[in-house]
Amino acid sequence: MAQQIVKAMPEVIHQGIVDTQTQQRLERFLALEAALMDAHEYDRWLALWDSDEVLYWVPCNSDEQDPSTGIAIIYDDRTRLLERIMRLKDKTAHAYRPLAKLVRSVSGVLPLSVDGDEMEVAASFVLGETRVGQQNLWLGKTLYRLVDTANGFRIRSKKVMLLNNDDAMPNLTFLV
Amino acid sequence: MTTRIPTGRDYSALVQEDRVHSAIFTDEQIFQDEMERIFHTTWLFALHESEIPNAGDFKRLQIGRYPVIATRDEQGEIHLLINRCRHRGAQVCESSHGNTRRFQCWYHGWTYDTRGDLVGLTGPEAYDKDFKCDAHGLTRIPRVESYRGFVFASVAREGMSLSDYLGSTKPYIDIMVDASPIGELQVKPGVVNRTRYRGNWKQVGMDGYHPHYVHMSVFKIFSKRESTTGSAVGALHLEDPFADVSKSRTRGFPHGHACLDFREQRRPHADASIEELRRSEEGARYVDDMISAYGEERARDLIAWHGDPHLGLFPNLQLIHDHVRVVIPISPGETEVLMYPVFLKGVGPSINEKRLRAHEAFYGPAAAGSPDDAEIFERTQRGLLADADPWVQLGRGIHREEVDEDGSVASCISDEITQRAQMQEWKKLMTRG
Repeated sequence: MAQQIVKAMPEVIHQGIVDTQTQQRLERFLALEAALMDAHEYDRWLALWDSDEVLYWVPCNSDEQDPSTGIAIIYDDRTRLLERIMRLKDKTAHAYRPLAKLVRSVSGVLPLSVDGDEMEVAASFVLGETRVGQQNLWLGKTLYRLVDTANGFRIRSKKVMLLNNDDAMPNLTFLV
Repeated sequence: MTTRIPTGRDYSALVQEDRVHSAIFTDEQIFQDEMERIFHTTWLFALHESEIPNAGDFKRLQIGRYPVIATRDEQGEIHLLINRCRHRGAQVCESSHGNTRRFQCWYHGWTYDTRGDLVGLTGPEAYDKDFKCDAHGLTRIPRVESYRGFVFASVAREGMSLSDYLGSTKPYIDIMVDASPIGELQVKPGVVNRTRYRGNWKQVGMDGYHPHYVHMSVFKIFSKRESTTGSAVGALHLEDPFADVSKSRTRGFPHGHACLDFREQRRPHADASIEELRRSEEGARYVDDMISAYGEERARDLIAWHGDPHLGLFPNLQLIHDHVRVVIPISPGETEVLMYPVFLKGVGPSINEKRLRAHEAFYGPAAAGSPDDAEIFERTQRGLLADADPWVQLGRGIHREEVDEDGSVASCISDEITQRAQMQEWKKLMTRG
């Protein structure tokens, strides 16, 4: 992921490939997404996704492990994503209760490519989690495919590359 | 190899027939004694031989207290070598897995080959002429044996054979292996869920009593699906495999092994599974290949069983659904769990891919099942520390146990035979002279 930014076209880094206003809209959109995830506003978060085929992917073992020959921490199409939201909201899912307190900081928002109304955007996050007296720190980079619609940006795919995806981890019972 | 620490503690008093004392889950000294008396005496699962298929392949793993390198030498033989330089003790291998000809210590350059032999002594002129390189190879785990690709190790120089240790659990291991039409599995060292929970290692057991409660949300969601054939919790749309009226059984074996035996409950579902498989080209080929390999009757059973023995081999291995699970005790209150999905050899890629997605749905840190288990183990650990009333009940169904032909003890799926089998072996090993 860092490699994708390092190897990006010079204009991505220097001039940027979107205008300042689009950049600001992107940063606001990702700040809103972060707030909805922090606040466990699952339905409103789901509404940020595109209505067509989507992919929510959190790789395991390495950022690039092929899901056809390896596993992922999360590899959700729309059906599986809807089941995930059902479970996140379900009061009988005791691993999710009490809810974790979350705060995350999103930075390094960088559009990598634009193709019509669709763009690929990279960002980094730092996420603090506290739950039942335990504090965990989660870090990672995210690669989005966003589509710019009349109602604002919508997420077509989201790949979250956790820094510790090759290490032993505790429960991840919230959205990243 | 190991000096057993004499203990003045009466561990036999902590394990009764139908209950155990909570200190066995929380006490630091007991944990240290478990490492000596259980993990350094009995057979432990090390790795699957397919993880290091080629000469020079290696993988790091944990055997009791010892960091170990599993290697395959030029002759194709597997060695388990303690990851500690014979000079000053530094680990000589830090990569989790890979391929190499040599392990070189970065401290003073001593170098070992894949058999563990010391093949590079730096500055040899300064050593006594009697210094023997062949007496300074990496220390070997003395006993290594395998069953159908599953490699086990024992730190004890003497003891029963692996075959005797596994005993009548072997036909259950076969259920996992023979889900492949060529009877071979592949485990990949780099394809694994690694999770950690703040609870005792003995919590990860076979338990047919918990699913309705711990995994209630999963049952709710899966009940809304049209079909769950082949999913991680079996064919729930047809019936509940965890109901006492079902044909599922819980089973305890000698040496602490335990099983949730779904064979009879799943057997009638062969038709539905075969019908679903036949809808795809690779699925149809899988069914045909299974029948020509094992015959119609056995193939039908194997397909209905989904390669899931649901077997726990005391103390550190479980074969559950599509994965090999390794339990690594870190401390009385911390445990690491490794879950390696197994790949069937001799099948089309879509068969394995479907198994991967089924595994992922239930297992792993953000899946539907594993977090519920980890959470309840942590709640249990916090509760067990309050030892005013220290006894933990494991007596469910003790009056309705039956001894089966293979020597195992069986009863209703929700009975605590599995825990009792594990704890009786724990007691035997912890109190052995």
